Amino acid sequence: MNETPGPEADEIAAHRVAATRVGPITRLGGLARLLFSARLDKSAGRIRFIALAMAVAYLGIGVKLISLGVSHDPPQTLKVAADQAVSGARPDLLDRNGEILATDVKTMSVFAEPRRIIDKDEAVELITAVLPDVDAKELRERLSSKKGFVWVKRQVTAKEQQEIFHLGLPGVGFLPENKRVYPNGPIGAHVIGFVDTDNIGIAGMEKYLDQQSLTDPHVPGFVLDPTALKPVRLSLDLKATHALRDELVAGLARFKAKAAAGAILDVTTGEVIALESLPDFDPNDPGDFIKDPTRINRLNVGVYEMGSTFKALSLAMALDSGKVTLNSRIDARDSLRYGHFTIHDFHATHRVLTVPEVFTHSSNIGAARMALMVGVEGHQAFLRKMGQLDRLRTELPESAEPLVPKHWGELNTMTIAFGQGLNVAPLQAMMAVAALVNGGEMMTPTFLPRSEADALAASRRVISPQTSESMRYLMRSNATHGSAGFANVPGYYVGGKTGTADKIVNGRYSQDRVFTTFMAVAPADKPKYLYLVMYDEPQGLPEDGGYHTAAYNSGRVTGKLITRVEPLEGVPPADHFPDQPFPMLARLGLGGDADRIGKE
Amino acid sequence: MWRLLHVIAIAALIGSAAYVYSVKYQTIYASEQIVKTRHQIAKERDAINLLRAEFAHLTRPDRLQALADAQLDMQPLALNQIVKADDLPDQAPKVDSIGRKLESLGLLGDSATPSSGVTGATPAVR
Repeated sequence: MNETPGPEADEIAAHRVAATRVGPITRLGGLARLLFSARLDKSAGRIRFIALAMAVAYLGIGVKLISLGVSHDPPQTLKVAADQAVSGARPDLLDRNGEILATDVKTMSVFAEPRRIIDKDEAVELITAVLPDVDAKELRERLSSKKGFVWVKRQVTAKEQQEIFHLGLPGVGFLPENKRVYPNGPIGAHVIGFVDTDNIGIAGMEKYLDQQSLTDPHVPGFVLDPTALKPVRLSLDLKATHALRDELVAGLARFKAKAAAGAILDVTTGEVIALESLPDFDPNDPGDFIKDPTRINRLNVGVYEMGSTFKALSLAMALDSGKVTLNSRIDARDSLRYGHFTIHDFHATHRVLTVPEVFTHSSNIGAARMALMVGVEGHQAFLRKMGQLDRLRTELPESAEPLVPKHWGELNTMTIAFGQGLNVAPLQAMMAVAALVNGGEMMTPTFLPRSEADALAASRRVISPQTSESMRYLMRSNATHGSAGFANVPGYYVGGKTGTADKIVNGRYSQDRVFTTFMAVAPADKPKYLYLVMYDEPQGLPEDGGYHTAAYNSGRVTGKLITRVEPLEGVPPADHFPDQPFPMLARLGLGGDADRIGKE
Repeated sequence: MWRLLHVIAIAALIGSAAYVYSVKYQTIYASEQIVKTRHQIAKERDAINLLRAEFAHLTRPDRLQALADAQLDMQPLALNQIVKADDLPDQAPKVDSIGRKLESLGLLGDSATPSSGVTGATPAVR
C-alpha cells in the first residue's frame, strides 16, 4: 500500500538530504529560506542579520565621508596643474607721472595632457608643422612623460592659436596667460628690469617687487586677476629718461666712446628721476643680457675711479674740518713728491692757489695737500661717513662693493683726494655730491617716490650747512670761470665739476684711454637736480683740438641735457641771477665772484 | 459649495506652482546673464589693457621724436622761447574787421539783421 508522506515525513527527508549532502548550495538555500520564510519563530535571527547589514553599510558611508572631509587632494588635477603653471599677474609699473613702464597683457598658451593624447607621434608631427620653432625631439619627450599637464608653447599668436585649434587634437588645449610687456623698450630698462616666461622678476625693480612679495605669482587664488593688484609708481620720469638716453646715444656716436651712462637725482628727496646705462637692452627681449658684462648697469654695478669729481669730496672734507677756509692758500708751485711718486697738475699753474682756484683749476697737488692736512684717519672716517667705503644698497637688487685699498697710507690718501685709487659706484658718488650741495643731508638714493619730509626724516647730517653752501659756490664758480663752462646753461644757474680719470691699461695709467665724468647741479643757489654724465673712452674731436677731457664730452652732453630736462620738469629759465645766492658766505664777505663770467 | 472651494484651491495651487517655476527660470536666466556679463567685462578689461599698452607703445618718446623729426618742420624747444605770463605783451584791443569793412563799403546802416550786441556772436568794437 502506498504510504502517503505526511509533513513529518517531508521534513525528515529534508533533514536526511541535509545530513547526507551538506554542500554550499544547500547552505545558501538554508539562508534564503531563513530570510524569506514567513515563520515567526525564525524572525529573530533575520532581524539580527538585517541590523548587522545596515550597521556595516552605515559604517562604510561614515568612513567614506570622513576620508573625503579630511583629505587634501583636490579631485581636478588638470585645473590645479594649470593654475600652478600659468604665469601670474604682476602690478603695472608706472613712472612718476603715471605713464606706463610695464604692464600685463593676456596671451594664449598651448598646453597638452599627455595621458589623453592617443597618437603621440602624429601629435608631435602636426604641432611642429604649425609651430616650427618648437623642437620636435624635445616635444616628443615632454609628451611621453607621465605628467598630467605639460606646456607645448607659451604665448602663441592669434594665428598660431587658430591653426592649432583646427588640428583638432584631443588632449591639446589653450590657457590664457599674462605676458609682461614694456611699451617703451629700452628706455629705463636698467631700472625697470625684466621677467622670465613665468612672469617672475629677474632683474631691476621687477625683482625688487617679488622680493617685497608685493606679488607672489604662484599663490593660488591670487593668480590671474591683474585688476586686484595696485600699480606701483616709480620715481623715474619717462620723458626725462628718454631725453637722457637720447643725449647719451648721440654723444656715444659723436665721441666714439665704448660706453656711456648718466643719471638725474633729485637732491632734495634722493629720488632718481632718470637713469640710463649704455649699451642697454630691450626688456621685452632681454636675450643673454645677464651674461653680457658690457651691458651692466654702470651706475650701480660698475665701480670706477671717479677722477676729479672726487675733489669735491676732498675740499668739502677740508672745509668742514675747519683746517682750511675759502680764503686759505695752498702751495701748488711744484709737483708734490712722495717717495718715488710725483703728483703733477694736469693744468699746471706753478703758483700759490686759493681754495676756489684749487677747485676751478682742478689741482691735484692742492687736493692732495688738503687731504694730508686732515690726515689718513680723518680722510677714511669722512669717506665712510659719506658712504664711499661701503656697498650702496638701493631698491635695485644689483649692487657692487667699492674697491678700497687694503693698506691705506698717506700716498693713498693723496691719490684718493683727486680721485685715483678708490673705485666706487657712480651712483654712490652722486649720493655724496647730493649731500654736499643740498645743505649737508645724506640721503640714500631711491627709485620709489619719496616726499621731501620723508627724505629729511630718514637722512643724516654729514657736513655743516655752511660747508654745503661753500661747495655750491665752488661748483658755481667752476661753471663761470672753470672747466664746467659748457654746462653753464643760461637761466638755470648751473654749477658743475668735471672729472677725467686715466684708465689703467696693463697696470699703468694711460693718457689715451680716459673715463670722463661730469656732475652738474641746478640751480646752484638752491639745488634741485644733480646731473651725472659719464663716457668710457671717448675720442677727442678735431674741432675741439683733439681734447678728450670731460668738459668736451660729458660736460657738453650735460649742458644739452639740462636745457632739455629742466623745462620738462616744469622749471622755467630765470631771466636774472638770484639776488643773494650764497647768504652765509656773503656775511663773511665771500662768494661775490661766482657769477663773473670769464677766466682770469 | 465645497466643490467650488476645491476648484479654487486647486487653481491657486497650479497658479502658484507656475509662478514659482517662472520665477525660478527667470532667476536662472538672470544669473546666466550675470556670468556672461562678467565674462564680457573681463574680456573688455583685457582689451582695454591691451589698448593701453599699445597706446603707450605707440606714444613712446623715442618713436614720437623720430616721427616729429621726419614729419614736422619744427625745431627743438629753445630756452629763449619760454617766457613768463607777465612778460607777454598786453592783449591788443579786439577789432571787428568785418564791421570795419562793411563800414568802409557803406553797408553798416540799418538792416534787417539784429545788431551784433544782441546776438553776441561778434562783439562790437571796444
